[in-house]
Amino acid sequence: MNCEVCQLKELDVEYFEIREVLRCILHTIFFHRALGLVRPKDVDLTLFEITYVQCGDAELEKKVDEKIDQFIDRVEKHPNKKNQICLSFFEVKNKQATWFTHKVEHLYWEQWYINLNVAHHPKPHSGKSHHSKLVLDPGESASDERNARRATLESSLHEVLFQIIKFVNEKKDHIPPIPNKEGVSFPYEITISSSSDSAFGMDMFKRMLQTGHPTMLS
Amino acid sequence: MDLQSIEHGRTDQIVSQFLLKTLHIVLESRVPSFRPGPLGSHQVKKSDKWFNLALGERPTAFDGLNFWHRNLMEPMVIDIILVQGQNGSGYGALVETVIERWVVQYEYSRVSQSSESYKKTYKKSIILLRSLYAMMRLLPAYWAYRSKAKGKACDFDISYKVSSFSVPFTRSEEQVMKLYSFFPVEAQHGRLSVSVRYRESLSDFNLESSALCPPEIITDYVGSPATDPFRAFPTSFPVRRPHSWTSGGQFTSQNPFPPAYHSSSGRYDLSSSPAASSYDGYGQRTTRPPTRHSFDDSPPFSPSPPTYLNMQSRPVSIPNPLITRTPRYLSPNLSDPNRHSLPPLSPRSTRSSHESSPAIRSLKKSEMSRVGDLSSGSTNHKVSKDDSGRFSGLLSSSGSPRIGFSRSSSRLSLQDELDDIDFSCPFIVDDVDTCDSPVSQSGKKSQDAAVGALVRMLRTAPPLRQDSSCCSEAEAQSNGGNTSGLFMSRKTSDALEELKSYTGIKHLILSKSKHTL
Repeated sequence: MNCEVCQLKELDVEYFEIREVLRCILHTIFFHRALGLVRPKDVDLTLFEITYVQCGDAELEKKVDEKIDQFIDRVEKHPNKKNQICLSFFEVKNKQATWFTHKVEHLYWEQWYINLNVAHHPKPHSGKSHHSKLVLDPGESASDERNARRATLESSLHEVLFQIIKFVNEKKDHIPPIPNKEGVSFPYEITISSSSDSAFGMDMFKRMLQTGHPTMLS
Repeated sequence: MDLQSIEHGRTDQIVSQFLLKTLHIVLESRVPSFRPGPLGSHQVKKSDKWFNLALGERPTAFDGLNFWHRNLMEPMVIDIILVQGQNGSGYGALVETVIERWVVQYEYSRVSQSSESYKKTYKKSIILLRSLYAMMRLLPAYWAYRSKAKGKACDFDISYKVSSFSVPFTRSEEQVMKLYSFFPVEAQHGRLSVSVRYRESLSDFNLESSALCPPEIITDYVGSPATDPFRAFPTSFPVRRPHSWTSGGQFTSQNPFPPAYHSSSGRYDLSSSPAASSYDGYGQRTTRPPTRHSFDDSPPFSPSPPTYLNMQSRPVSIPNPLITRTPRYLSPNLSDPNRHSLPPLSPRSTRSSHESSPAIRSLKKSEMSRVGDLSSGSTNHKVSKDDSGRFSGLLSSSGSPRIGFSRSSSRLSLQDELDDIDFSCPFIVDDVDTCDSPVSQSGKKSQDAAVGALVRMLRTAPPLRQDSSCCSEAEAQSNGGNTSGLFMSRKTSDALEELKSYTGIKHLILSKSKHTL
């Protein structure tokens, strides 16, 4: 089975926008992968005029928020880096247990890469002098700039959602049979990496090898 | 039954349900009255199980509609229409603009184009419908819907029309519209395609919520019996607004007449009506016999049956509004400053909102004849005196156009087979659940309230002897008549009859009041 990979358009976000943006993107993907019976739940973003849809699974919501927390922590620790969240769907293949190994193999059939470029803004409580200067002198141009940046991000986020919808509709043949369960239909994992990591590229490479996607091996 | 015919039958069923589900998804996110209650609160219905997307109860309007896709190969065109009054024109026309046009089609091909089994088709349809659901919230029209759904007093309304054909857009219209096509779903004998043309920006319409009028609920909103019953029904949930269209300041208080409603004849085609299918213009007979639901069957629409009391509250003897008008034209609000010539509703009369007194109805009709006719576009409907049945059919603010779905015996026979399907495919559509018609309940309205309302109306009517206190009360409570009631054509003979009965009652009551004084 081939693994379909979708690299979502990179977004320039500010620190405080991370949570909303990630929730929006992740839940939109999950909504298309929770193929059992769902009661869709509309959620309005507060920072943008966008409404996205959740599949209504409380457990999933909790897991997503946990991952986002982890991502935010990582961003704090590794500022000024490109950060990436990878959402992978896989099938579980049990390798025959031997005396030495008891491996469960993950066969990835779909991967989503969410690329965020987090603008480095010192935290409010940092109290650095240059920061306070920034705060005290916003000016009209800064506010206009902020609005323009916000509008650009909203438009880009729209594009990302359209990109997701396009991808899920064009690529359907690789999806495994739908199990009869509520919530997300397939096992998944969310991994976080940053460009500074040596593992950043390695993780991707490893997965490419595992999935055996022909184009990736070139 | 051989495998191929089973496959074919199931595919047909999936396609049919897909069309229905698509319609539900589109309308529930554009038409406030279609919106179900909190989704968590309802039990999973059989309709929810189709495509594993629980949307809540289908509006009762769906049940009574003839889903004219008897011929699955006909496209289903859903127009989402923005309705606004023309600026500056008190007597102005209502401007309707198609802001979205959804086209859902099963592009049938006799030659089997793919080896897709119905199971794969079903699975892919699930995903497509998820995308459709998400996309509905990403398009510009969604925010117009949200404004309406919040119950804000808006200077616009959202209507819809479903048909098998559509008047093509003009070049200028096309230029401002964008096209989005979903990737089609392959089926055994064709493919399911969904596409939308939508206005990229609604800023031209200056959609604003008016801060002047607090929204109110018209609990007894009713459509007009004399209007085309097969037109698209106003989509907003009955909202009681003191000003109706006047709130936006678009209609001056000097205008005693409601704005004329113009609609192009093609706009509200009768193809969406069950009874009109014979002259829907396509001349296409369906392969399966349609199940027709006559309005006289008193379909179980939840909104109350016609109440002319609402209309009595209007500034002028507003004729029964066209179905497409929003309920807010029929504001019974006692404190409506715009109502001037009609008496306020008595508390009793407002409570008995399910009235459908023939006397009052006839009075309204006579008033309508006085006001005059207005082209209502499609004139193929007949004005029937049996208004109660028809009205109840029109009542649902989510009601029209009527799109029922026909059931064929072949579907019923698939039930057992479909139950065996191991993928999560629901079984056949349920029989329509019917409930007690509100019309039968409406017959028990208070006669006294009706007479009281009548008396008030007569008292404030120009030719009558006017009681000064009553008048001033009425005027204080009604605003300048900038209602946006709508005219409809009436036969002169009917109108004269009504006028005669009206005059008779008037004299009777006058004579009685003389005795009491």
